[in-house]
Amino acid sequence: MFTDLYFRLRALVRRPTVERELDDELRFHLDHQIEKYVAAGMTPAEAARRARIEFGGVDQVMEACRDARGVSLVDTLLQDLRYGGRMLRRSPTFSCIAIATIALATAAIATVTSLADTLLWRHLRAADAATLVSVSATRGRPTEGVVSYPDYASFRDRATTVSGLAAHYSTAPLFVAVGATAKEVNGAVVSASYFPLLGLQPALGRFFHAEEDRVPDRDRVAVLGYDFWRTWFAADPSAVGSALTINGVPFTIVGVAPANPVALTPLPVNVYIPTMMLRVGYRWCKDSLASDCNTLGMVGRLAGGRSVAEAAAEFAAIMPERWRHAPIGENRGVAVRQPRGMSEDDEEPRLVATLGAVAILLLVVCCANLGGLLSAQAASRQDEFAIRVSLGAGPLRIVRQVITESLLLALAGGAGGLVLSRVFIGALSRMFFSMDDEGHPLVYDFSPSMPILLATLAAALAAGLLFSAVPAMTAVRRSSLRPLATRSTSARWAASRGLLAVQAAVAVALVATAALLASSARLVLTGRNYDASHVALMRLRPRLVQYTPERAQRFQREVVERLRAVPSVESVSMVGVGSILGGGTAKAALPGWPKELEMTVRYNEVGPAYFDTVRTPLIEGREFADSDTLQAPPVAVVNETLAARLWPTPAQATVGKPDGRWLDTVIVINGTPRQVVGVVADAAITSRTQAAQPWAYVPFWQNAGAIDSRIAVRTSGDPAALLPELAREVHPIDPAVPIADTITLPVQIAGLTRPVRVAALFIGYAAALAMLLTAIGLYGALAFAVSRRTKEIGIRLALGAARGRLVASIVREGLGVVLAGAAMGIVLAILASRLVASLLYGSAGSDWLFYAAAAAAVGVAGLGASLLPARRAAGVEPIVALRQE
Amino acid sequence: MDLPQGTLDLLILKAIALERQHGWAISERIEQISNSALKVNQGSLYPALHRLERRGWIKADWDVSDNNRRAKYYRLTKKGQKQLEEQTGAWRSLSAAINLLLDHS
Repeated sequence: MFTDLYFRLRALVRRPTVERELDDELRFHLDHQIEKYVAAGMTPAEAARRARIEFGGVDQVMEACRDARGVSLVDTLLQDLRYGGRMLRRSPTFSCIAIATIALATAAIATVTSLADTLLWRHLRAADAATLVSVSATRGRPTEGVVSYPDYASFRDRATTVSGLAAHYSTAPLFVAVGATAKEVNGAVVSASYFPLLGLQPALGRFFHAEEDRVPDRDRVAVLGYDFWRTWFAADPSAVGSALTINGVPFTIVGVAPANPVALTPLPVNVYIPTMMLRVGYRWCKDSLASDCNTLGMVGRLAGGRSVAEAAAEFAAIMPERWRHAPIGENRGVAVRQPRGMSEDDEEPRLVATLGAVAILLLVVCCANLGGLLSAQAASRQDEFAIRVSLGAGPLRIVRQVITESLLLALAGGAGGLVLSRVFIGALSRMFFSMDDEGHPLVYDFSPSMPILLATLAAALAAGLLFSAVPAMTAVRRSSLRPLATRSTSARWAASRGLLAVQAAVAVALVATAALLASSARLVLTGRNYDASHVALMRLRPRLVQYTPERAQRFQREVVERLRAVPSVESVSMVGVGSILGGGTAKAALPGWPKELEMTVRYNEVGPAYFDTVRTPLIEGREFADSDTLQAPPVAVVNETLAARLWPTPAQATVGKPDGRWLDTVIVINGTPRQVVGVVADAAITSRTQAAQPWAYVPFWQNAGAIDSRIAVRTSGDPAALLPELAREVHPIDPAVPIADTITLPVQIAGLTRPVRVAALFIGYAAALAMLLTAIGLYGALAFAVSRRTKEIGIRLALGAARGRLVASIVREGLGVVLAGAAMGIVLAILASRLVASLLYGSAGSDWLFYAAAAAAVGVAGLGASLLPARRAAGVEPIVALRQE
Repeated sequence: MDLPQGTLDLLILKAIALERQHGWAISERIEQISNSALKVNQGSLYPALHRLERRGWIKADWDVSDNNRRAKYYRLTKKGQKQLEEQTGAWRSLSAAINLLLDHS
């Protein structure tokens, strides 16, 4: 093994010495042989001749020796590379097209891998990340569940498989005031063990002492995020020790976190406070430190030698007793896993898989295309191959040559793809991963990594081998010593015809899918039964500054009145739960229903004119008015789906047909009987795979506990331009009330439907490339066929063939292939739209339009690609053509 | 008579089993011992030598030959010694089996 390696290396590194030695050795042998024959009585000349004949060709023997020594593998590779480089330089156009194509295709692979790495695979950027585990409660669904402080403390005190367990609530909206500046920023409530557990060192000052995280509400200490310190304090070291107000409570700054802290969520943390300050950081529970208030995530460090599985077993054994009897929807189990990736969206793994499939498909299309072009090239190089075969090159050597050339192209393309993918990832990151659906900045770490490099390299190599397969076979078949002059173009054209049809099919499928996705991205903004355009949003959170519900109601009423008075504002409304067009859940029943029959429905508290503001059609009855207050009778509005479930209609009546049957009946929502005053159309943002959900709405004003709100303002103008003015109107009412999330509804929905937009853009790119490739491939194949048939065309023309018919015949040939492919493509597109159905919005009724349009687009590209060579054929001068060769 | 396939390695190992030899001497020796019945194709002798050297069965050194010229001498390594024994055994049992078969009918 080692002698072998030593020999090969010596042969390679000390080539001149080795060659000279070989030479000496063989000469020594010949000399001896000659001496022997001379001694036997031959003349020296005859002896020399005899010895040489016996010995055989010295060069062949030397070559065989080199082979035996193992030099030749590397040697021939170098030779192939030299040849390859020369060939590629000789046809620069082809080389450029090939490299560009591979670069564009491998860039897609690299981009998807980068997405996958950041969203799904990457370890935390922490010291010894492999021993970090995230511990979360399970609730019967795979989503990660947070836990209450007492539950965390119980895990922390009992677990032995982890050397430390830290708690964190890393997405805490904190209203921070320093001097005159006040703003809502994302903060984190963390246990004192958090920083040491993640191996962090403060950039300035210190982190929390354990003692500062022991007594509730006592130690008002805060650590600043590095960027927050730089922007709010201009990186002034004297910030440590100074004061800031968080949600109305004064805190002392004790330190500054490092510039690159371990990010547990994509939301950067601006301010950290200890878990004992949870009542300041989290205001949605009566007592945020009580066991019924689930807010905290947990991250642990495995004790020496312990595995994730051991930790999982232990945590399951020590989980709080009441979890074992909890109903579905509450914490009832515990999951321990290594934190991987930044994805917080269940849709994202599917998205990445879909994009990965598209990228691979694109690579295959590229290979088919280049294979076609390369084999056309190989066909025109058949003379060269034939000569090399007759000079003694084995067929394997020729194949190796072709493969080496392809690999050269592929690797150059792969390198280009890697560079290009950084541009793509930068664009994707800016467009989709820099802001969440509430307008907060996000930070995703898309830095290059090993998996990206490996995937790109693998893709480039696979592409090189794949697209050299066809020309390599062509080369071998051709290199058998057939007369140099005979050529067959018809066979080759038939072979590439199949490839081209497949390319056209893939192009049609991709174009159709991309169009469907793009239209979905648009439909989700102006969906069925709602219209998000022209709606501006604003979030008012008086709860952060300790408003009582009564005071909040007065405040909110004044806000609505002021905003209604703004010119260009058409209507103003609000929701109390979640976001506009979104909401929470509630229990709904008809009076007298037993508890088991209660339905879980989607729910929101909405202001007057809410349905008018979001343009949801009222099917019957009325929507809420200013008069629906706490003093007025409780009322509710239901959507069609809930109406149909509560009052199933007889077969002949259809939902939505107003008959007033259920108006003024009573429905019990969360235990309160309410009179149904209206029925609205189903208006939630639901993709095709999501069933319509039952919704119940109650008036915002009739919720005694409502304090915070999300305001929606419909304007006749540009909602984005209106945002500053809205804030200016609201601010004077009470400057202390935090105003946040001033964004437009389209921006918010876009943030909520990121997967569909990412997919639309990515698949759009793939579709454009596939279409371009199909056109180039078709053009190349036809142009090649025409150039090979120049003589035949000349004869035909000389015999009186009409030029028009000639053009028509060539175009027909090209279009035939494309249209056959397009037909396959429509079938593919229908299958593909099923695959991405979870990303599609709006009805499937008009999908056929997209299929037809895609087929037409690819058909037009095909027509263009065949017209050019056809016109060249028609331009052939018979005399010139016949003189050729 | 040409050498049967795969026997050249064995003959080379045998030829240098007693003392180191250079290439020409190896071919001479094989011819002499076999009473010129076996003729080594010189075109395949050297590649075989280099192959064996690469495998580590034989080792080569440059030295001065009898007639005062630099020559490359090959000698058996421990690994080569073992190979020689193994292959000799294998060849013996093979030829015995073939003899048996031929004599039998």
